[in-house]
Amino acid sequence: MSEHGTTGWGIFRFLNHLESGLLTTLMMSMILMAFGQIVLRNMFEFSILWADPFLRHLVLWTGMLGAAMATRDGRHIKMDVLPQLLPPRGRAVLAVLTNLFSAAVCAVLVKASIRFVSDEMEFGGPVFLDIPAWIVQLILPAAFALIAVRFLIFAVTSARSAWRNESEPQAGEAAA
Amino acid sequence: MTILIGIVVVLLAIAGVPLFVVIATSALLSFAMAELDSSLVIIEMYRMANMPILISIPLFAFSGYLMAESGSPQRLLRVSRALMGWMPGGLALVALVTCAAFTALTGASGVTIIALGGLLYPALIAERYGEKFSLGLITTSGSRGLLFPPSIPLILYAIVASASVDDMFRGGLVPGILMVSLIGVYGVIRGARGKTQRTPFTWKEAGAALWEAKWELPLPVIVLGSIFSGWLAVSEAAALTAFLVLLVEVVFYRDVKLKDLPRIVRECMVLVGGILIILGAALAYTNYLIDAEVPFKILESMQSHVTGKIMFLLVLNIFLLIVGSMLDIFSALVVVVPLIAPIALEYGVHPVHLGVIFLTNLEIGYSTPPVGLNLFISSFRFKKPIIRLYLAAIPFLIISLLGLILITYFPQLTLWLVE
Repeated sequence: MSEHGTTGWGIFRFLNHLESGLLTTLMMSMILMAFGQIVLRNMFEFSILWADPFLRHLVLWTGMLGAAMATRDGRHIKMDVLPQLLPPRGRAVLAVLTNLFSAAVCAVLVKASIRFVSDEMEFGGPVFLDIPAWIVQLILPAAFALIAVRFLIFAVTSARSAWRNESEPQAGEAAA
Repeated sequence: MTILIGIVVVLLAIAGVPLFVVIATSALLSFAMAELDSSLVIIEMYRMANMPILISIPLFAFSGYLMAESGSPQRLLRVSRALMGWMPGGLALVALVTCAAFTALTGASGVTIIALGGLLYPALIAERYGEKFSLGLITTSGSRGLLFPPSIPLILYAIVASASVDDMFRGGLVPGILMVSLIGVYGVIRGARGKTQRTPFTWKEAGAALWEAKWELPLPVIVLGSIFSGWLAVSEAAALTAFLVLLVEVVFYRDVKLKDLPRIVRECMVLVGGILIILGAALAYTNYLIDAEVPFKILESMQSHVTGKIMFLLVLNIFLLIVGSMLDIFSALVVVVPLIAPIALEYGVHPVHLGVIFLTNLEIGYSTPPVGLNLFISSFRFKKPIIRLYLAAIPFLIISLLGLILITYFPQLTLWLVE
């Protein structure tokens, strides 16, 4: 894959590096920790109690971050039947609509997950190592917000190309 | 109202809205209609953090992506060529086996065609297998290993259908071998009849190829052995695999540099994140479907027309072939399985058998014209017109359909190792 992020606003470029670094760190911790558990259990008949919930939340975190990156790259799984039948300008107009719609749905999910997290803040207990559950759950509103913003940016770039009568911009070309 | 939501959902999907958004929309709408708070949708999504098996998906996918980036496709190719290249149709068999092994690790995400196709296609042409045969073979091989452990679709099916992953791994083995063998026979006949070249067998080359791949060849044995012997749970075996592959490719072979890791992790997690967010959205949607007794209602309206297991299986096959040519395997799994699993159970279809039928159908759907994904990946990779790929895929599709019929109507093939 080509290197994205050569264009776009500085803050998003920074965000992209941050996400990439965080994702790699989380993935390597996941591998080492999960492998470590096997070694401990088989050789020393011992296991770290907080490791399992920790690992399960790592999956949630890497999954949500991966989904945010898939949004940035325009690589979410989709069916894409109608856009292929339309002329470039029609495709760009449709892209404005679908991206706006996706941004709106993700905004609703942000609201729903903030509600979920604040409920947990009030009533929830710790997940592991005395860390309250709501802290690890913050990834949900954060990732959905990032995804919503990215859909919004795609809507803007599509609108621009519809206006100029160009074809839809390639994923990652203009968006953050 | 349910029908109206259905129409809206289909329109959104066709318009190109990402499927996770489409599924989340239907979940949000149906929760709103039932006057439930939208945060319940998130509670369902958060169930992902309570599934111990889920970690195996990123871990196996990472292992597959890392191997695809390393010299392991070349080494795997060299070994199988040294061992099987002397047979008639030898290279066709080599292509089948290596593609199946790779697809089992990476899912049918196109990685097989991209990583192995570039090596295999020129080799097949050079040994005079003909363009049409070679293209058809590689294109359809892009989804050929789905039934072999530890394929991600097998794991995902087990999660969605609440079946045991171990049973799915066992159940997929014989049908998987059957599908590969059927195509293999075709390849051997082609190789024997045509003027294809063969690679003579030499102990020297076989030894050298095996020695070169000495770090990788034991991996499948260790991983599958540890699962089937009951020593490790599937999620633990995934951790062992990821660790060993990392060790082998980065430290022993040094094919992959440390600085390449962030890019590989990113590539892999874009795929896995895309799958997991669909799964998360689908968890909420499925819960609603079951609460609203949707499968039960479909079953009721079906029962007067579809009588008996055989007829149900026939309808199922046709339905799934259509689904498979339109939806990718991951969305099809999370959206369709919750609907049909309860119905299939009513008709007396074993959940593991249903899973194998499902994946075999989707494996075929991947290469079915007009919109099968493999056809497009191949067209892009080998720069051939899509129509030529349609024609190339047809003989392979006919043989695969034969395999599908055997797998569907002889449940023993699947259930033999499960029970």
